[in-house]
Amino acid sequence: MAYRMVGIVGGIQLTLMLAPVLGAQVAVPIAVERRLAGRMHLAVGDTITIGTAPDSVNSKAVISSIYEPAPDPASVTRQDLHLRMHLPDLAQLLGAPDRVDRFGVKLKPGVSAEGAAAELNQLAFGFRAHPSRVIASGSSQTFRVVSRFHRAIAVISIVASAVFLLCIMLLKVEERKPDAAVMRLVGVRGRIIFGAVVLEAVLVALVGSGLGVLLAALAGSLTNLYYRRLFDTRLVFSLITPDVLIFSVALSLLLGIGAGAVAALRLVRTPPLVLWRR
Amino acid sequence: MAFAWALRNLSRHRLRSALVLLGLAVTSAMLLDMILLSGGLERSFEQLLLGRGYQVRISPRGTLPFDTEATIPNATRLVTTLREDSSVVSVAPLLGGSIYARMSDSLLTLFGYGVDPMSQALYQVTQGEDLLPADRNGIILSAPAARLLHAGIGDTVRLVGVLDPQMAQGRAEAVLVVRGFVRWLYDYEGQPSVGAWLPVMQALTARSIGDRVSFIAVRIRDGVAVDPVVERLRRGLPTLEINSVGDMVAHFRDRMVYFHQLSLILGTISLIVTLLLVTTLLTITVNERLGEIATLRAIGVSRRRIVEGVVAEGVLLTLVGGVLGTALGLATARYLDAILTSFPGLPASISFFVPRASGLLLAGGVLLVAGTFAGTYPAWLAARAPIAATLRAEAT
Amino acid sequence: MRALDLKAVLRVDDVYKDYPMNGERVHALRGVSLDISPGDYVAIVGPSGCGKSTLLHVMGGIDQPTAGSVSIDGTVLSSLSDSALTRLRLLKLGFVFQRFHLLPVLTARENVELPMAEAGVRRQERRERATRLLAYVGLENRAGHRATQLSGGEMQRVAIARSLANSPAVLLADEPTGELDAKTGQEILDLFHKLNTDGVTIVVVTHDDRLARAAGRVVQMLDGQIVSAP
Repeated sequence: MAYRMVGIVGGIQLTLMLAPVLGAQVAVPIAVERRLAGRMHLAVGDTITIGTAPDSVNSKAVISSIYEPAPDPASVTRQDLHLRMHLPDLAQLLGAPDRVDRFGVKLKPGVSAEGAAAELNQLAFGFRAHPSRVIASGSSQTFRVVSRFHRAIAVISIVASAVFLLCIMLLKVEERKPDAAVMRLVGVRGRIIFGAVVLEAVLVALVGSGLGVLLAALAGSLTNLYYRRLFDTRLVFSLITPDVLIFSVALSLLLGIGAGAVAALRLVRTPPLVLWRR
Repeated sequence: MAFAWALRNLSRHRLRSALVLLGLAVTSAMLLDMILLSGGLERSFEQLLLGRGYQVRISPRGTLPFDTEATIPNATRLVTTLREDSSVVSVAPLLGGSIYARMSDSLLTLFGYGVDPMSQALYQVTQGEDLLPADRNGIILSAPAARLLHAGIGDTVRLVGVLDPQMAQGRAEAVLVVRGFVRWLYDYEGQPSVGAWLPVMQALTARSIGDRVSFIAVRIRDGVAVDPVVERLRRGLPTLEINSVGDMVAHFRDRMVYFHQLSLILGTISLIVTLLLVTTLLTITVNERLGEIATLRAIGVSRRRIVEGVVAEGVLLTLVGGVLGTALGLATARYLDAILTSFPGLPASISFFVPRASGLLLAGGVLLVAGTFAGTYPAWLAARAPIAATLRAEAT
Repeated sequence: MRALDLKAVLRVDDVYKDYPMNGERVHALRGVSLDISPGDYVAIVGPSGCGKSTLLHVMGGIDQPTAGSVSIDGTVLSSLSDSALTRLRLLKLGFVFQRFHLLPVLTARENVELPMAEAGVRRQERRERATRLLAYVGLENRAGHRATQLSGGEMQRVAIARSLANSPAVLLADEPTGELDAKTGQEILDLFHKLNTDGVTIVVVTHDDRLARAAGRVVQMLDGQIVSAP
């Protein structure tokens, strides 16, 4: 089993200050993320001083590049700012040479991550190996909670909408009792009236669903626009996927037609003279 | 009389009224939940922060307590300086980090707190005793830690720190006696945490060098305003982050901005649906009763009385729907809270939906206004209907 | 200029009424003048669409004439604000409609009490008066029944009792027997006769020949004009 060591920046606190180049100290190359560069008005080639405590900011660094970090939903609200250094430079700065927080290990094709992790853990002292998938699953727990919450809210909203829809359909149908009464009295079959009301409900549900999709798309665009600006990120906050679209439209059609059918059934089951009397 | 009349009018169409009330109950429940959510989390967090009476937190610059692994150096000197301040009643230095317990030939990972038992802001003793002053041999456990370690009061626990993979051993070890069980205020559900005297934990986590702590909590004397003290500390300690509880709640609010906005948006939508529901019902029933209304106007009932009657129906609907919605809303709040409090790493004592009288009153008040407003358009319709034309239309 | 009847409690003076219908102007009343004196029992008759009901509505202040004036007890209706006109209808006029127009959610007694409550009469007094009025129209045993529980004739009698609640100067009735069978209609006819005998001034619009014959004066209308008014 082969392993390749990839060092990454650990969690340290850095204080950055812009300062003129002083003395003959060799400046270490660093890469700063775009937001940090924007906030401190930094450009490639600028020399700054960095340190691990507010009262010891005296190590020189030169900005070799400005990068855009991969958007991380787990930390989007924290607004942390990052920079990157070569591992030995950071270890030197921290006064902890030859120490890292973690390793990332890329396995040869066909090698099982679980097996590799288990083997490492048998050998390990002072560290643990985890398959990346497990880490990802663990760190996704927050979003699973948010998803469950959204689902619960959606269920409540759907229940409210269904009741509202049924209410409106019943009210609208009741408004047309005299018309239905006349139709029944002149001999139009109940089935025809039922079909007419349900057809109307289908049309209303279709148009309503279409409008709902447009509204959702608009709301989603506004949500993404707003939160992207708020958090200065490229993350997508609201996304209408095909399955979400299909489910939403299908459910709204079902609810609309169902409400119409219930209202229509009430109408045709009431005797015409009772309808007429209002 | 308007309400008695409204009640009878609503009873004319029981199914219709029942459906509307059901709809209003659901929307009112949603509105109440969003009101509880909008300030609940912050209130809960604030209560947690003030749980032991410490109003100020001092942490490494640019961080919040336990936000990162950064530490404050020269803690003893800083604590002494703070204790000399006449506004300060108590100073609690705290250290937190991973620590290990040796069980047979394996190591269990725990979270270790280093505390000063004479002034601490992190726990409440639930069983047994607290650590002794300058206790080099004692340890306190959370219930999950006690279960994990199979340790009771009086048992010994072997803690290991500063693990050396090369040597396959810990460079720091301590055997400590369990003094008691505690509830750590900031622990998540099931978190296995242990606590020892600060120097003991510093030694175990290699924080002795530089005398480092994670943060310091400060309690201000009663009657002294907190904000001026915070400002003074900021001027005196520019390399550290000084936050009052209010500042921390504000930071927290910024991080939880999503819930604020969600509660605002969903609350607004609930209100709009409530308005629509009541307005639609009343408009349709007014249209059905135009003949009746025209007759009332004809026999001398004033427009004002007509408007009162319609508005009373709207208010009655939203009030009854609101009462039903309160019961439903409190139940759904518990359910939603159970979902959100399962966030990993969230302190177990935090709630998102905090039932409070002000929230209930606000929801009730908003509903009342909405019900009144919802009746306005149909009431206007009713009052403006031309009497003769309406009676003519009714006759045909 | 026509002669002034100084005793007139209700005076209609050269009234015109036009209203739009399907894009055209309908001339419902064309220069109608009529005086009603205290104690009169006047029937306004004519074919459908001649303007009878419109004239009644204008007389009762529930429709405004396009030209001309209506006055009740010397007060010109067009000089009143909407709330003052409403108040005048409450205290000076009583209305009876073809379709009764009782409030279905109220009992017979409550329907009769309604105008009194609006006039500010105290609860005990209006309750007693309502009971007396219902007894007058022969419905004392049905006082506690909801309007929906009454027959057509009973509903119309309750409507008549309601119209008398505030002791009006004039009782205006629009086709009061229009929805009733012959027998029930006769009962209403008899009641109107009794009312007039007891001093109530009545103006009734009707197709019913029996009502017309029972009235003291018959005013014939055609195409928005009075063609005969003894």
